[in-house]
Amino acid sequence: MKRLFKVDYLSRVEGETGITAEIRDGEVTVCAGVFEAPRFFEAFLRGRHYTDIADFTARICGICPVAYQMSAVHAIESIFGVEVEEPIRELRRLLYCGEWIESHALHIYLLQGPDFYGAESAWSKREYLPMAKIGLYFKKLGNRILTLLGGRPIHPVSVKVGGFSKLPEKKVLLSILPDLKRAYEESRGEIDRAAHLPFQDHTMDMECVSLYDQREYPMNYGNVISNRGINTPMAGFLEMTRESQVGHSTALHSKKWKDGRESPYLVGPISRVNLNDEKLPAEITTTMKRCGITLPIMNTRMGIIARSIELSYALHEAMRIIQTYDNSAKPSVDFKPAAGEAAWITEAPRGMLIHRYELDDAGYVKHCTLIPPTSQNLAQMEIDLRDFIQNHISKPVEFLKKESEKIVRSYDPCISCSVHLVVLDGNKKGKPIL
Amino acid sequence: MKRPRIAVFKFTSCDGCQLSILNLEDELLDLIGLFQLAYFREAADRPLRGHLDIALVEGSISTERQRNHAMEVREKTRYLVTIGACATSGGLQALRNWSSVEDYKKSVYPSPGMIETLPCSTPISDHVYVDYELWGCPVSSDALSETLSSFLLDKRPGMPGYSLCMECKGKGIPCLLVARAEPCLGPVTRAGCGVLCPSLERPCYGCFGPKEGANIDSLLNVLRKAGLSHHDCALLLDKMNTYAYRKARTGEGSA
Repeated sequence: MKRLFKVDYLSRVEGETGITAEIRDGEVTVCAGVFEAPRFFEAFLRGRHYTDIADFTARICGICPVAYQMSAVHAIESIFGVEVEEPIRELRRLLYCGEWIESHALHIYLLQGPDFYGAESAWSKREYLPMAKIGLYFKKLGNRILTLLGGRPIHPVSVKVGGFSKLPEKKVLLSILPDLKRAYEESRGEIDRAAHLPFQDHTMDMECVSLYDQREYPMNYGNVISNRGINTPMAGFLEMTRESQVGHSTALHSKKWKDGRESPYLVGPISRVNLNDEKLPAEITTTMKRCGITLPIMNTRMGIIARSIELSYALHEAMRIIQTYDNSAKPSVDFKPAAGEAAWITEAPRGMLIHRYELDDAGYVKHCTLIPPTSQNLAQMEIDLRDFIQNHISKPVEFLKKESEKIVRSYDPCISCSVHLVVLDGNKKGKPIL
Repeated sequence: MKRPRIAVFKFTSCDGCQLSILNLEDELLDLIGLFQLAYFREAADRPLRGHLDIALVEGSISTERQRNHAMEVREKTRYLVTIGACATSGGLQALRNWSSVEDYKKSVYPSPGMIETLPCSTPISDHVYVDYELWGCPVSSDALSETLSSFLLDKRPGMPGYSLCMECKGKGIPCLLVARAEPCLGPVTRAGCGVLCPSLERPCYGCFGPKEGANIDSLLNVLRKAGLSHHDCALLLDKMNTYAYRKARTGEGSA
């Protein structure tokens, strides 16, 4: 066995991760290890009241706290049999738009963007500064939506089981409409820019998985579908996946299991765009055609294109929700806690975020499972890295190392998320988790 | 004038407080121009070299490696500033301190033996001298820019040590504790969030940790009279600043 290279700690990704590439019997093996210290969320959530769950799980990730709040409250509402009113459903979607805008802008312009310009950070090269400014401009708008609805952009405070603690006034929401409109116009030009970045040709045959909702581009509702024939309600998808621990990594890897065989899959913007493009507004699909974007996207390096499309979509969708918002609704509906269990999936900026809870009759947590998008993507990411290194094995190690870092970054991994997974009573490696 | 060298470090955390730095948005690029950014792994690809004027530290200490790293950072740094609940009081993950970490490992990982972690999650100040602590889960962007600009002006940052109630009253918000008997931590919690929760009609849940000299037992007596169980009172304090609230309650040094 020969070590090819090791990256201890990747920059410009959220959290602590490294890559180890080795050659064993002529075969390349790659491990994308997560070295983030474990935080044991599933363990300390036990015994907590359902009213704490959204606040607690939000603290798993500072970049996508809304995703945690959304998966949590929908799962709990499903246990209690709560149905929120249409205006609440729409406002939760607006909140999610804020997070998609903020998170996608961060990744496109401040984290991954510099890779295409040979810059070490978004502010290290004078030529890149205009890009950094565009990114901060979009990001700020996403944060403004989050702040209007939830008080602050990171760990917003108004989401609760049954609705919101307080609803915003329509006139306050209308005040950001002109800015959203301007940003949306600009964002379509940004799709063009992303489409013309130089991408390594690396088409892969992969299984793309996302939610699919009859009504709209998926966020909080829908079935799980894939380009290889999955079409199941949310709970059914959990039965198809298994988690396993790999070496010293503190993140568990999640893979699909079928007929006794495991197979990786991809969640996130590429999968969503591939499987839901018919739900995008005509203006955006026209822009995509004009820029020569053809679907499905089967090159993971092109995640930045899918993210740019979704950034534009989220701005468009935020405008629609604000314009049609009916502020006569009650902030939340009444309900009684009940014992039971349920799983729910929502679309975090990085892909499907799976939560499953079992509550007792007073609403305290007996058991919970959290599967973030990054742990679902880790297996696919390792295959991607292995193929790349295998195909370029004659190139200098420094090149392989730098390019591997870029590949990992293109997945927009969220390492804080992936690190504390799954409470499994007596789970053994390879056994189903449920 | 030579630009001061600044660095951002991360220990056990959600990255939200580092993101608060990037959330300075309008001020971000100006601030970066005033400092020499020596190390910020989340945003820049550059190894750490040399001494630092300021280190902003996010996250709690929960592994041996982190404990050593914190000491290295301290040695290199003139002013060490903790940002947020994890670095300042151990964070939500400090809930493990009241339980068995071995049980936690077994319940989360199939091979618990391979997971290296300390039994407790603790604030930076339990390990090295901290010059300044910024509370909050997450830290507020205003507090960050106040701290950084104060450094440039060579003055002490102005941060409140008084309770959230002071700000809440100033805003004229009806008291959730008195008027509605809701379990609000405002009276014992440090101001600094801008009265987020009461403004949105929910009781304070303690993002900014205990105020100086907080009389926690007195608040809990009120809550128990209002009908809250002993157990639920305890859970109220056991959140993102559990370590600091428990310390403040037993009077083990002021948090």
